[in-house]
Amino acid sequence: MVSIRTVNLTKVFGEVVAVDHVSLEIKHGEFFTLLGPSGCGKTTFLRTIAGLELADEGSIYFDDQDITDMPAHLRGTGMVFQNYALWPHMNVFDNIAYGLKIRKVPKEEIRRRVKEVLKLVKLEGMENRTPHQLSGGQQQRVALARALVINPRVLLFDEPLSNLDAKLRIEMRAELRRLQRELGITAIYVTHDQEEAMSISDRIAVMNKGRIMQVGTPKEIYKNPRNEFVARFIGQGTFIPGEVVSSGEELEVRLESGKVVKAVPSHPDVRLEVGDKTLIMIRPESFTLEPGKRYNEFEVEVYHISFLGDSQMLQASNEVENFIIEVDPDLDINVGQKLKVYAPPRHTLAVKL
Amino acid sequence: MGQAAWLSKLLRKIRWEMDTFSWSQLIIVLASFTAFLIVPLGLVVVRSFYSSSGGFSFYWLQTILTDPFYFPLRLKLLNQFPFISLEGIRGSLYEVVKYQTAAGEETIVLLTGWDMGVIPNSLVVATFTTLFSTVLGFTLAFVFAKYRFPGSEVLRIVSLIPLLSTPFVGAIGLKKMIVADGVLNVLFYDMLHLLPFKIEITGLPAVILVQTLLFYPIVMLNSYTALISVDPTLEEQAINMGASGFRLFRTVTLPLATPGVEAGALLVFILSLEDLGTPIVFKGTTAEKVLTFQIFNRIFTPAGLISQEATTLAMILLVISGLVFVGVRRYVSLKKYAMLSKGGTWRPRRRKLSPAITLLVYIFILGVLFFATLPHIGVALLAFAKQWGPTLLPSSFTLDNFAAVLSDEEASRCIMNSLIYSTIATLFMIVLGVSAAYLVSRKKSLPGIEALDLLVTIPIAVPGIAVATGLFLTYLGTPLSPTISGAPLLIASYTVRKIPFTVRAVFSGLEQTDKTLDEVAWTVGASRTRTFFSIVMPMILLNVLAGGMLSFIYSMSEVSTGIVVGDANHRDAPMTWKMYDMLFHGLAGGTFQPAALGFLLMTLQFIFIVGANLLLRKRATALIGV
Ligand SMILES: Nc1ncnc2c1ncn2[C@@H]1O[C@H](COP(=O)(O)OP(=O)(O)O)[C@@H](O)[C@H]1O
Ligand SMILES: [Mg+2]
Repeated sequence: MVSIRTVNLTKVFGEVVAVDHVSLEIKHGEFFTLLGPSGCGKTTFLRTIAGLELADEGSIYFDDQDITDMPAHLRGTGMVFQNYALWPHMNVFDNIAYGLKIRKVPKEEIRRRVKEVLKLVKLEGMENRTPHQLSGGQQQRVALARALVINPRVLLFDEPLSNLDAKLRIEMRAELRRLQRELGITAIYVTHDQEEAMSISDRIAVMNKGRIMQVGTPKEIYKNPRNEFVARFIGQGTFIPGEVVSSGEELEVRLESGKVVKAVPSHPDVRLEVGDKTLIMIRPESFTLEPGKRYNEFEVEVYHISFLGDSQMLQASNEVENFIIEVDPDLDINVGQKLKVYAPPRHTLAVKL
Repeated sequence: MGQAAWLSKLLRKIRWEMDTFSWSQLIIVLASFTAFLIVPLGLVVVRSFYSSSGGFSFYWLQTILTDPFYFPLRLKLLNQFPFISLEGIRGSLYEVVKYQTAAGEETIVLLTGWDMGVIPNSLVVATFTTLFSTVLGFTLAFVFAKYRFPGSEVLRIVSLIPLLSTPFVGAIGLKKMIVADGVLNVLFYDMLHLLPFKIEITGLPAVILVQTLLFYPIVMLNSYTALISVDPTLEEQAINMGASGFRLFRTVTLPLATPGVEAGALLVFILSLEDLGTPIVFKGTTAEKVLTFQIFNRIFTPAGLISQEATTLAMILLVISGLVFVGVRRYVSLKKYAMLSKGGTWRPRRRKLSPAITLLVYIFILGVLFFATLPHIGVALLAFAKQWGPTLLPSSFTLDNFAAVLSDEEASRCIMNSLIYSTIATLFMIVLGVSAAYLVSRKKSLPGIEALDLLVTIPIAVPGIAVATGLFLTYLGTPLSPTISGAPLLIASYTVRKIPFTVRAVFSGLEQTDKTLDEVAWTVGASRTRTFFSIVMPMILLNVLAGGMLSFIYSMSEVSTGIVVGDANHRDAPMTWKMYDMLFHGLAGGTFQPAALGFLLMTLQFIFIVGANLLLRKRATALIGV
């Protein structure tokens, strides 16, 4: 188990800056997720950590050791690839045992450890199958077992669940987290699925075009997005552009419709001055139908209702702006209905543009 | 960025990509190619500009270009207009010979062709061979790619048969067909009375005929792959926009298929230029007057030295094929080849034909196949013939030719030599070829890696006789001298000349295995070396085997170096030299015994090529094509 630190890590492919001056600190035993849209450089970052790509600039440290130029096979990482990358000419046992054979572990011990790890990933008795006899989920587990069996210093996951069907994905998610916690291995997990990231991670780094947009716990990232990209990428929300008309502890923002709302900066680091353009964001669950003291009020007409069981999502508009509003599932609402909705100022976030 | 920073970045990148193992792979490949291809060819060029006293001089080039034997065309002025004088051209397209037989007067039309001097002859032969091969190969490819008719798949494979033999062997078989009392005249003149006179094809026209019949499959394969790789939706779009028939073909299909056709055509041009086997079989006619034969014929001076004249001719041949290679280069690189040979990822659009057209198509294809299989049928019949006069088939059959060949001490030694040399060369080719393919496939981002790609594919376009000349120039008088032992140079020559087959098969295997399979092995702790042997090699084993088989069999049938080295050292000569020797210096058996040897070679070639393709199944359709 190690802590990992990158300093200004940069990787360029021709014209594309795949990873752009990324500085991150990942703690001992942490489950750290890199979240971002496809093509933003997640895989490249992970491959650079694993030693499969050479960083063009910057450094990587495992604890205090600079491993930037260390060959991959000396780094002691366990990586699970998106396509699993099981060796087709070896059966399950040989796939898993390979790393141990390289370490010259005695035969008996290899047998024991492979058995153990197969139990851990719930594939007991599958030693003699070949990869193509396994389902996607099973292949995924073999790939995981192969990475785990060598007691890696760090586990690297590159969208390991993206090829599984939805139900299995959710099961495996919990499974991965349980294993990582039990074994106490530092893990870097890469995904483009924000829900997956939210549900599995200790901390998340949101990435866009090679750059880190924000690092924080799932809660922080959801509740206090630092910028527009994070605000829009994570979760759902109502977004209304406006301009700051009075600043201070609480802001007043004039929307394009002319209406003035009370809001707070989306993140403690965000400073907004009078005259700044801003984006108001309100999460669906922040709306209420009950007027409260000093609440912002909006009059909207509902044009679509999604019933989700534990809630209903309303899509509504007021000619100028579109709203997403979560309401109680028992509430009787019809399409076309006019509603007054309210948002408390502390949940009306002003995002810096 | 400063130069120093740039350099240190480059060094860091190289250090990162190249470990000791990769360096050793690179170095053995570079060293072997330097020693046995680059230096020898370089020497051919350099030596051709030596004067007899050793200094730099254009003497030999000038001598050759002004000698009407080599180059009779002259620039002249007529009323101050420059024109090329054709005075030096000798002979005529055909001659008519009449003679009396018991049955009356018979007329033979001898198709001899003009003799335009050695250099123009070579170019003209290559041009016509290319032209005919392209028309024939492309038409066949087009029919097979675009139309659906019963048996098309079988016919398509049968029409690749010529790839199974070398021109040298094929020429022996075809010669028996096209001489005055040969099989074709027996059939079409004596029996079917379809000809008003007998036709004998000889000299340069015979060379063109042999080469066309043996090389058209190269154009066909390349065109076919290109045609079936054309996205059918492109054609459908054109049809929707109103294009049809010939217009569709000219504006859409042909342009899309052009790269494939061009690649095939240029390769045929080079193969025709460098073919020594066919001119040798037609020795004694104008077929002798081509570059390859002239180099071969005068490579040794009576003093046992390498002739300057031959060296200069080899340089000329090298330069011509080099120029053509520039045109073909972008098609033969490994990367391009792997892409092309993957072929159609689409379901090609195949039209059904009306019965009448189908009949025409059959007649055309069967006609082509009749001629295309003649060389092979010829060799087979000669090999089993006891006597074969002016009749359709030998009057009696026997196995004596094989018995004679196998009991001939020298012949069996030559067979043995060929087997040993080819086996050793194959081992070298596998080591070097796998190394090169691995580097090119896995280190694409390394600067200069394209040069390695070029280096290992270029031998396809290097004339064998030029390599032979170069090897002699470099190693005569050294411990590797062919006069001491023929083995080293033959093995070296086979290795550098036939390595593209191994490299390609291995490369396409590597491209089909995901690089992450190597990488995951590194992450669990395997060094690159270990990963190479325990992960990569097992996964590409079939490709290595198939590539090795092809390289082996093309080594067995190598002619140029084999004959030259064999002439210098009979004891260590390979099988192809023995065929040559039997053809012209043999006492008993005439062409029957060399044909028996040729038949053995052809059979072996058939088994190996079919075997290699079965190993890779559908994975590399164009594997046997050059
Ligand atoms: N080997 C490579 N060569 C060239 N460009 C690459 C290579 N790998 C990745 N890229 C480019 O770098 C960017 C980031 O890619 P990647 O790290 O795979 O993104 P992600 O995993 O987030 O989808 C993309 O624009 C991609 O096209
Ligand atoms: Mg990715």
